[in-house]
Amino acid sequence: MNRKTVCATVALLLAAIAPAAIAQEAAPAPQPTAPGIRWQKDVPAIASGEWTGARLADGQPDVSGFWSNTISNHSNFTDPQAGPPGEPSAAAKLPRDQRAPSRVSDPGDGQVPYLPAARALQEDFAKNFPNPVKPRYIEPLARCAPAGVPKSFMWHGYEVRQYPGYVVFLFDSGTRIIKLDGSPHIAPGIKLWNGDSRGHWEGNTLVVDVRNNNGKALFGRYGDYMGDNAAVAERFVFDPAGQRFNYVATFTDPTVYSRPWTATIPARRYTVADKPDGWHFDVKPVNLPGKPLQYEHSERICAENNGPFGGGAVGVPSDEPVIDR
Amino acid sequence: MIRKAVLLLAASTALLAPAFSAAAAPAKPALQAPVAAPAIPRQADGKPDFSGIWQVLGEADYDLEPHAGRRDAPPGPGVVEGGTIPYTPEALERRNKNFATRAKDDPRLKCWVLGVPRGVYYPAPFQIFQRAQDLTLVHQFGNQVRTIRTDGSDHPEEKHQEFWLGDSRGHWEGDTLVVDVADFNEETWLDRAGNFHGPDLHVVERWTFVDPNTISYSVTLDEVGIFTKPWTINVLLHRRRDKGFQLIEDYCYALEYEQFYPHKDGK
Repeated sequence: MNRKTVCATVALLLAAIAPAAIAQEAAPAPQPTAPGIRWQKDVPAIASGEWTGARLADGQPDVSGFWSNTISNHSNFTDPQAGPPGEPSAAAKLPRDQRAPSRVSDPGDGQVPYLPAARALQEDFAKNFPNPVKPRYIEPLARCAPAGVPKSFMWHGYEVRQYPGYVVFLFDSGTRIIKLDGSPHIAPGIKLWNGDSRGHWEGNTLVVDVRNNNGKALFGRYGDYMGDNAAVAERFVFDPAGQRFNYVATFTDPTVYSRPWTATIPARRYTVADKPDGWHFDVKPVNLPGKPLQYEHSERICAENNGPFGGGAVGVPSDEPVIDR
Repeated sequence: MIRKAVLLLAASTALLAPAFSAAAAPAKPALQAPVAAPAIPRQADGKPDFSGIWQVLGEADYDLEPHAGRRDAPPGPGVVEGGTIPYTPEALERRNKNFATRAKDDPRLKCWVLGVPRGVYYPAPFQIFQRAQDLTLVHQFGNQVRTIRTDGSDHPEEKHQEFWLGDSRGHWEGDTLVVDVADFNEETWLDRAGNFHGPDLHVVERWTFVDPNTISYSVTLDEVGIFTKPWTINVLLHRRRDKGFQLIEDYCYALEYEQFYPHKDGK
């Protein structure tokens, strides 16, 4: 992708945050923070059970294709439609039950059960996010860091490709290769942005055990996070028609949380019936004259094109060598 | 290589044939059996299946051309057919300039996308995931993921998108995957020695199994104004067969700022 395209994308993302207040003047109902960012209010329950849909030759449920979240981006983890720190959305003024619920589905209060020291760190990040006077207050995704677990499911739309023994997630910021072969995790001392994933299918549910997390990606602009001792038990529960799934992930990290807790992030499938929107469904037609319409995503580039971000208070881009190998 | 493999395959088919006529004809003494080439992995549709983790073994990324050992490169015999890259005089001058400043200007040092073909012969593993309609190449180094569609599609109608990896479209010629790659930008280099290309680079890759664990990767580069004629690189790619081997993400562009997370002041 060339620089122009990416600049346009970044501009759109910036626009996604800022003019929420203007949107409220124009329309009384809650509006997306940007054209294209879907803002559904409800999170339909999907029960684990048998898979009755199409299967691939190796027996896996066929869930390959384009997907994206349905309630909001990563601006706010626990009040997804209220906007990022310091820039409340139009909907933030409405009664809480008129916005999508917290992504924390357990405990019932919708809050991450941090230990006091961890809560203080999260709140310190949120307080400093609007004016990041230190590098630690810049949202790492703004620097093109991999979005990691679970933020990748709240960012741009993504693609699932499946192979015997593998489910592969292609995100705009990073790639997750989920091995289905029952092999052990890599050595525990190796810590990774996306962690190390081992999965298997239980009926309509892809069950994934994520270890080796480095905890660096954060969950979004409020600074919610896990530590590098965290284990994440993910369940991707697909509806029988294969049009939606709920990402249900339980986070365990005794150094950061007082108890395990669970996040739920809804997603829906995008197909040729949907209009490409540059965010959830950032695709172009495949050049296949005479054949039915298909879409493809162009290459995923970020660090190579990244411009100033994070309020510009702390330099983000760098042309300096970062490796010596 | 292809021809040999085909002959061996034909020979092994011939070996099967007598079995059917065994009842009719008296058993003959066993033929001097040729050493059968091990069967290559194939997809359900019969096309070669390159699924797996691959890595070059060699010095190509240090310098595509023949070179003696130096401080920042082991010696290498070169991987360019004919020895040297046929640059135009102006392009050669620029390559020499790149060579002089390689310690700071090689885009690899920023962990940026290495491009095509460099990502293939950069000395880090990459994994090929293959379906009938496409191959997905996930490189361990940085954030490089390339899709090669083999569904008969052509390059996008929209030109000059200036992709970092180019746009890849593949088709099969017998057991060889032929990939046409076009529409690049000029940000990537071809190796650590400052060899380079411009935005009008045209790349044709040929991927062929030598045996089940080795791929012959032959790639031809052409660009008017940079090269005086098309030229070709040949390397072998080896299957990583170390016990339990897997890709380990290497988002090295994040190394300079990972110290600040989660919630740290850094060093």
